[in-house]
Amino acid sequence: MLSITLILLSAFFFTGIIVRTKSITSGRKGPGILQPVKDVIRLFKKGSVYSETTSIIFRISPVIYFSSVLMACLVIPFSSYRGIVSFDGDFIFFAYILALGKFFSIISAMDTGSSFEGMGASREALFSMFAEPAFFILIGSFALLTGHTSFFDIFSTLHLGSSITYTLGVLAAFILVMIAMIENSRMPVDDPKTHLELTMIHEVMVLDNSGFDLGLIMTTGYLKFAMYGAIIAGFFIGSLPLPLSVPAYLAIQALFAVTVGLIESFMARFRMNHNPQFILALSSVSFLIFLGVLLVLEKFV
Amino acid sequence: MTNVLLIIFIISLLYVSIANRIITYVRVLALQGFILFGVTFLQLKDIQTWNLVLILLETIVFRAVAVPMFLSYLIKRNRITRETEPYLPHFVSLIIITMIVVITVLLANSIKETHLDKIFFIVSLSTLFTGLYFIASRKKIITHVMGYLMIENGVFVLSLAVGNEMPNLVNLGIMLDVFASVLILGIFLNKIGDVFKAADVDQLSNLKDY
Repeated sequence: MLSITLILLSAFFFTGIIVRTKSITSGRKGPGILQPVKDVIRLFKKGSVYSETTSIIFRISPVIYFSSVLMACLVIPFSSYRGIVSFDGDFIFFAYILALGKFFSIISAMDTGSSFEGMGASREALFSMFAEPAFFILIGSFALLTGHTSFFDIFSTLHLGSSITYTLGVLAAFILVMIAMIENSRMPVDDPKTHLELTMIHEVMVLDNSGFDLGLIMTTGYLKFAMYGAIIAGFFIGSLPLPLSVPAYLAIQALFAVTVGLIESFMARFRMNHNPQFILALSSVSFLIFLGVLLVLEKFV
Repeated sequence: MTNVLLIIFIISLLYVSIANRIITYVRVLALQGFILFGVTFLQLKDIQTWNLVLILLETIVFRAVAVPMFLSYLIKRNRITRETEPYLPHFVSLIIITMIVVITVLLANSIKETHLDKIFFIVSLSTLFTGLYFIASRKKIITHVMGYLMIENGVFVLSLAVGNEMPNLVNLGIMLDVFASVLILGIFLNKIGDVFKAADVDQLSNLKDY
């Protein structure tokens, strides 16, 4: 229960911190930290407009997208507290419940019949497909290292003792940050600020959504960031006592948000045909983590 | 700590496989020089002090500073264009280098020799093959030389694995460095730009039957 509360709390501020970092680095005054939340509240008050060519799938998919991410958040533990849903092999559940939400957002984009949205959907599917092996090899090697297969057991038995495990932790944090950027369609892969349909990925998929549905999709984006931040925090917090772990958790989330803001400020978007190789490089790095785990376990002598 | 440095070494190989500009190659070579300095410092414990000082000076001065600076000077002087111009897309390069690492791991795992330090073996062999792959897949002469430098780094890593028992092997690895500097000087003195004028392979595509 504590973990989902903390995720919701940090999701509340996360995008605001990103926007604030971006405006400070570019020397603007910028909106306040709560502005994204206010945007969503404004959208929630509105009604939705549906195109006549769309079917029921277009109407239900924002809700399914939102609830899939919420389900995924329930799996994640917080230091010595289990997530609400926790069982052996729940990281597979985590990955595929996210994939279900993504699938519905893709077919709802196809449902509108717009050529741009189909293109964005195909790109989103491609990039998620490339990001998936990186995530699985990463969590799989930590499962191998600890001998457990649920997030709670992995995080609570993970001891960052020697220098090589620290390296593995840092590499894992790097990969998870990058996966979070890809899944949220942020800067190095996609630009949320772009205004040309041809260069967009995620934004073009939700062009037809309006009002309440758009608000749900935006909330899902905030939740997803906080969810990945919670996983990253899980790698480092371990089972500290509560007065230490909550500030550490919030600090890690804030640091993650500032990092995302800095990356967005100082990096240009990749050319679209460079994206697959960048995402595949993440898989290669997580494969190296796998080798590092084999080295720690002395599987090859 | 040695393992950490060697893992960073392999990551640098993956990075260089998707790099777009030649200057990135130079920077990665410098980084590899610094990593090798660290590995040498941590690994060679049972060696004579003067020999160790010589080897350390050689890695830090030549591999990490002098050769990369000279290469970047060379790129400016000979007006070599910035792109790496591979024959294959970067995406394929990345897959091939990952496959190289996988295959070397499998190969190292099948060896039943307990004295061999496996991680040194994996890193050196994959660096060697990556260097060969760079020589085969890039167009420019200067990238061929950089591929050779990478091969030489791989040989040096392997010699470090047995450096405590056979210090002469490390010195032989340093001899390779001298040979590499001859190659670079060849480019310097002959003012070779992107490709040999006479040996530009692309001209072969102009051949026709009459």
